[in-house]
Amino acid sequence: MKLCRLKIILYCLSLFSYIAGAAEHILDAVQSDATSADISQQGFDWTPYQKAWHDDVQLHGFLSQGLFNSSGNNVFGNSKNSVSAGLTEVGLNISYQALNNLSFALQGLYRRAGESTGSAGEVSLDFGFVDLTLIDLSAIRIGVRGGRIKNSWGLYNETRDVSFTHPTIFLPLIYFERSRSMMLAMDGGQVYADYNSAIGDFSFKFNYGFMNDNKELLLSITANPNVGGHLDPEKSFMTQLRYDIDGGKYIFALSYADINMGYVAYGAFDPYAGMQTHIYPIVVSAQYNGESFNLTGEYSYQWNEFSNFSNRADARPISEHWYIQAGYRLLDNVEFTVRYDASVQDISDRKGELFQQLTGLPSHLAYTKDWVVGLRWDITPAWMVRTEYHWIHGASMVSALDNPDAMNIAKDWNIYALQVSFRF
Amino acid sequence: MRQYFMGKGRVLKIYKVCRLIIVHALLIYTPCSLAVEVITHTDASVSLTQVKDLRAIFSMRLRYWPDGSKIRVFVLPDNNALHKKFVKEKLHMFPHQLRRTWDRMTYTGTGQPPVTVNSNAEMLEKIQNTPNAIGYIEINEANK
Repeated sequence: MKLCRLKIILYCLSLFSYIAGAAEHILDAVQSDATSADISQQGFDWTPYQKAWHDDVQLHGFLSQGLFNSSGNNVFGNSKNSVSAGLTEVGLNISYQALNNLSFALQGLYRRAGESTGSAGEVSLDFGFVDLTLIDLSAIRIGVRGGRIKNSWGLYNETRDVSFTHPTIFLPLIYFERSRSMMLAMDGGQVYADYNSAIGDFSFKFNYGFMNDNKELLLSITANPNVGGHLDPEKSFMTQLRYDIDGGKYIFALSYADINMGYVAYGAFDPYAGMQTHIYPIVVSAQYNGESFNLTGEYSYQWNEFSNFSNRADARPISEHWYIQAGYRLLDNVEFTVRYDASVQDISDRKGELFQQLTGLPSHLAYTKDWVVGLRWDITPAWMVRTEYHWIHGASMVSALDNPDAMNIAKDWNIYALQVSFRF
Repeated sequence: MRQYFMGKGRVLKIYKVCRLIIVHALLIYTPCSLAVEVITHTDASVSLTQVKDLRAIFSMRLRYWPDGSKIRVFVLPDNNALHKKFVKEKLHMFPHQLRRTWDRMTYTGTGQPPVTVNSNAEMLEKIQNTPNAIGYIEINEANK
């Protein structure tokens, strides 16, 4: 299923690049005719410059390595009372503006993130799509994209693996690490519209297609480490309306998603055969970016429906995540950040008592409260180093893969983290 | 065709320099500090007197000159003093706001960021030799 979809994407990309190549040849021929006509009329030619293809190709990338030390629970590998170098992110992208209204972009990602990727890490196609602008006026741009497209979700989801683009090493709990691969990108299409007005810039995106399946999410839904099958992505959408005032001094965004997953059973007696997952979260985001002070808040309210179990009743928990974060630039390139972050898996069971009764697991797996302080130093525009400390109460965010012994997951714990990043 | 170009090479070059329009956009001149000016190399008749137009260009939202040619944007590095001055005075923004916008485009594939040059001299050279370019320079250098 997954391989088949990848093949379709690659086929579409190659087809489009062929069409674009042919179209460009025709356009070049037309342009050179026009140029010679100009020469004869004006006596001299002031545009001898022939556009070379490499002027419209850009290559960019990033690389980051994290170090983690924690008490109580593991993060990104074996960090408990030890040091783990378990988070490595390497990305390389190429973009090609083939025509004024047609472009291509592709990014490969290598990621090693504790047990969820294994010690060898994983290589994936992060995005790869064709972008066709249908309307491009000075204030309005409307277009479509097809392929694998990043999901605009809250303020940080679409660039969550690019350390430079978010303020702390650990993202806020809204961007749940175990939902990462599900939320990351859409295999399908996007309609986008940008409108730049006197009162600010509006940006709308609507992604439709298939999300990616996720082992950690499955473990969390079933609360069963021995579950054998895997989630099967079904048609889903994700949409965002974003409003930037004064060049991004104030940013407001509203995001909504409707995610559906089936289940591919493992063997004939799999108790989860027929299970359906339906998740539909909404996120409200607001940010102020001053010269030296910034303030960010995001609130997420998430409806979950887990149904058609053969061995237990349907569940409809509502999860809630929110945070407030303040940053202050001590110097132009040194920033201090403090954040309070809170998350509950089910708002009708904030202390996890019901969860404990149903699953027999510790109640603190149902919530997390996290205080973070961090310091970021952009040594040069290409190099950045940062460090942070977390005081955490609760453990809903711990990875079941990094912490297989659920009964021994600590309730109050801390993380110290350090990260070095490079980009070009 | 090629011969034609070579024969007119001299004219071409002079003409190009004439085409280096210096746009006076909201210049606040203070004699004791360096001043920054927007420069363009374009045949399109544009008036870049409004902050919102410059913002749209340097945020890579406005991608084409009125004649349809692609705008080639050049900037200095984020930590360059002239860049900081330019962003504050001409765009009424902060460098980190621009960087956020460029990063989002770059690492989602939805756009291409400006080309970064490393010195004022390289900036001037790029603008002179790249049709449809836009950038900025220290005003004293431009007057030399």
